[in-house]
Amino acid sequence: MMQRRRPVFFNLLQIQLPVGALTSITHRITGLLLALGIPISVYLLDRSLRGPQSYAQTTSLLDHWAMRGAAILFAWALAHHALAGVRHLLSDIDIGSQLPAARRSAWIVNLGGVAVALVAAGAWL
Amino acid sequence: MAVRKTVTGLRAWLLQRATAVYMLAFLVFFLFHFLLDRPHSYAAWHGWMSAPGVSIAAGVFFAALLLHAWVGVRDVLMDYVRAPALRVCALALLFLGLSATAAWVLRIFLGTAA
Amino acid sequence: MKLSISRYNPERDEKPYMQDYEIEPGPEDRMLLDLILRLKARDDSLTIRKSCREGVCGSDAININGRNGLACITRLTELKEPVELRPLPSFPIIRDLVVDMTGFFKQYHSIKPYLINHDPAPERERLQSPAQRERLNGAYECILCACCTSQCPSFWWNPDKFVGPAGLLQAYRFIVDSRDHARQERLDDLNDAYRLFRCRTIMNCTEVCPKGLAPSRAIEQIRLMMVRDSL
Repeated sequence: MMQRRRPVFFNLLQIQLPVGALTSITHRITGLLLALGIPISVYLLDRSLRGPQSYAQTTSLLDHWAMRGAAILFAWALAHHALAGVRHLLSDIDIGSQLPAARRSAWIVNLGGVAVALVAAGAWL
Repeated sequence: MAVRKTVTGLRAWLLQRATAVYMLAFLVFFLFHFLLDRPHSYAAWHGWMSAPGVSIAAGVFFAALLLHAWVGVRDVLMDYVRAPALRVCALALLFLGLSATAAWVLRIFLGTAA
Repeated sequence: MKLSISRYNPERDEKPYMQDYEIEPGPEDRMLLDLILRLKARDDSLTIRKSCREGVCGSDAININGRNGLACITRLTELKEPVELRPLPSFPIIRDLVVDMTGFFKQYHSIKPYLINHDPAPERERLQSPAQRERLNGAYECILCACCTSQCPSFWWNPDKFVGPAGLLQAYRFIVDSRDHARQERLDDLNDAYRLFRCRTIMNCTEVCPKGLAPSRAIEQIRLMMVRDSL
């Protein structure tokens, strides 16, 4: 009998990623991005409410190209996470939990997030 | 595998769902307001944020956000950080980070009420 | 047809490697298993579990072009070449396409997959109305092939604590069985941070089930039952 540990097949690049799985992992990644963005957002909120001068500084900071880029990324993350969240909430109450509907809604979520990012880019770049 | 049944999976899951629903509602309301009636000055912005209704709703939003983030990031840690000691440390850091943020938000909102 | 099959002999090989084959299907070959057995006639060392050859025993569950399925009901005409065959993901490989199913069955047994009824045994059957029997449809048909569970990312991360889609589908099967008396205990058993609640409704399970079952929906139904009970 073999003493050493048995190998496993676990190459994620060789395992198929159905559309719902893509929605799901992106839901997780956007969640982490949003969580990381909380401190910065709270900081900006804080500064914007301290006084007129501080408010003006904050708005001009948001105008900076790097902040605009971050805002567009944030918009994508929020849109995907919220849309995927709605998909989950509906699935919880048995709406769209059958496979064909679930695949359709997964496509809508994936494309919807990108669409919002494009609109944001159009408005903010 | 008997885990303390007071820490049920159901409670965390319900909290995640309930906070999500509230935040969605607030987000829709917030977006509508910003698209229709953008504040153009500090006075307008500060005035709107310190109105009791908005201030309280926003405060609840942040409470919901931090609770939702707690359940979500905890799930991620439970999936990927397998070593128990490391996981406990990571969860503790998460808890501290979120608590500190909660205290910060509280200070901001108390500031606007003054 | 061109195939690329994962080979591993623990007595000879350090780790698994892919071996290429080229073979002409016979005039009556329809399914992937037919082709694999034809290859086996040529190279007897090629090892796979197989039995019923009609999709009811679940023995020949393997990973086909990245997606789990039963070799005996996978049509050759629907396969992109080169056909890549690998063992079920994340399960220890015993040899070639044969994996260790111990962990999978351990989780299955942990949900008590048998009727728990405290009444004295009746003279004949424990009766059910057609409506009550209907509730078992979509759950009792599981052949425990493990396609779902080995394609579930949550199971990959926590195979020792998360029950997995197959086990949870069978838990559902007994929870909704009108003849079972242990509904509350079954629900309580699943109500911790890991056994059921690692499920993120990724739905890989429902995507790959060769019997067309929906473990993800069964898990959602169990959650709803827990919510209703707690109100």
